[in-house]
Amino acid sequence: MLLAIGGIALVYERWIGHALIAIISLVLMVYALTTGAILKGRIKKRSPRNVFKLHKRVGIYFGALILGSFIYGLWIRLQHGESILSSVHGKLGLIILLIAFLQLIPSLVLKNRARYRGLHKMMGYVLAPILFIDASWGLHNGVIGGTKSLVLFHSISGGLAALALVWIILEMLHPTDKGLARARIASYLAAFLITAGCWIAGGYNYLTVYGSQVKPVILAGPHPWAHAIVMEAKEHIFVFLPLIALTLSITLSVLNRDTFLHDPKFRRALTMIACLALFMVLLMFLMGAIISNAGQTGTEALK
Amino acid sequence: MKESATSIASAVITIFLTGCIIIAHDVSTDFKQSLVALTGHHWISVSVIAIVLFVLFSGLLMSSKSARKTLRADDIGLWSTTLIAVTLTMILGILAVLIAHYLVD
Repeated sequence: MLLAIGGIALVYERWIGHALIAIISLVLMVYALTTGAILKGRIKKRSPRNVFKLHKRVGIYFGALILGSFIYGLWIRLQHGESILSSVHGKLGLIILLIAFLQLIPSLVLKNRARYRGLHKMMGYVLAPILFIDASWGLHNGVIGGTKSLVLFHSISGGLAALALVWIILEMLHPTDKGLARARIASYLAAFLITAGCWIAGGYNYLTVYGSQVKPVILAGPHPWAHAIVMEAKEHIFVFLPLIALTLSITLSVLNRDTFLHDPKFRRALTMIACLALFMVLLMFLMGAIISNAGQTGTEALK
Repeated sequence: MKESATSIASAVITIFLTGCIIIAHDVSTDFKQSLVALTGHHWISVSVIAIVLFVLFSGLLMSSKSARKTLRADDIGLWSTTLIAVTLTMILGILAVLIAHYLVD
């Protein structure tokens, strides 16, 4: 993920601070979800560290970064003389900020948190997909500067698939009785998102829009290699990804609970496959960002 | 748990063959034209071939005990490592061919 952020940072500068903070927030959110699940006993505790303190600290960092990212986003909009909170990305950002504060403030202020825990847990799980959708949306807007709905759906599907793959990896690293059932759900989600959202929607866009509108602009622009190498590689390498996601789903669906709980070799193998799929999703993100940027610079050069 | 590794083995074989087809179609214009003739677009042809190969090899390995035994399809550690190795090799191979193609042109 850090590799992908670094790569994007080298290509784009305007909104990169906002994007970097948001992506660090994503990492912290995954960590907060993991420590929260350990506290509830869904994930087995391995280290003797005080998990509650860790969860609290990560939550504070997460809230601070979300606030920072929100202010940064507003600042960028004002700098360009654009109206604030008019976009879906901005509105989702505000919702994320509100949920983050509703998560954080009562947890720090209330002395008896027992009655608040159910809501805290629910909001935590709701926050994750919203944050991934908003980050994918923001990445799309930042790179393309527009809102082509099909490409947006393609990007969001990739972001959510990455979240589902991280979920599978966590379930494999911390096996519990119900972990296999949850990992299966995550794998079905990942396979569906990668097949329907990324493969079919992305393929349709590639066949109907990219070839006739974007490809000629990139080839005529200052970075023709973005099509000749990056896009040509992306369109074909991608075909491997649905196969890997489907394999992961099939393997998890036939895996029995005893093997899942007591055979570390099996879990390690599945973790490796999930990591491979996650690496490919992030690679596709990076390649997509380079292609979209080449399209944008090509359009500007032709003006 | 023989079925688990069977699916991974099918994916490995499919990715290897699909990767070879992708590299071949980047090297040979005639082969690319034959893929275009198959469905109307080379990318659709590659996608369809990948699906057909995956279903074909999954079915073949599921139905044949001797094939599973020969391929050691019960060894999930072996096949998951092979899946990573083959996928990364194919990614690098495709990238290398495309970079060489671009530099030569």
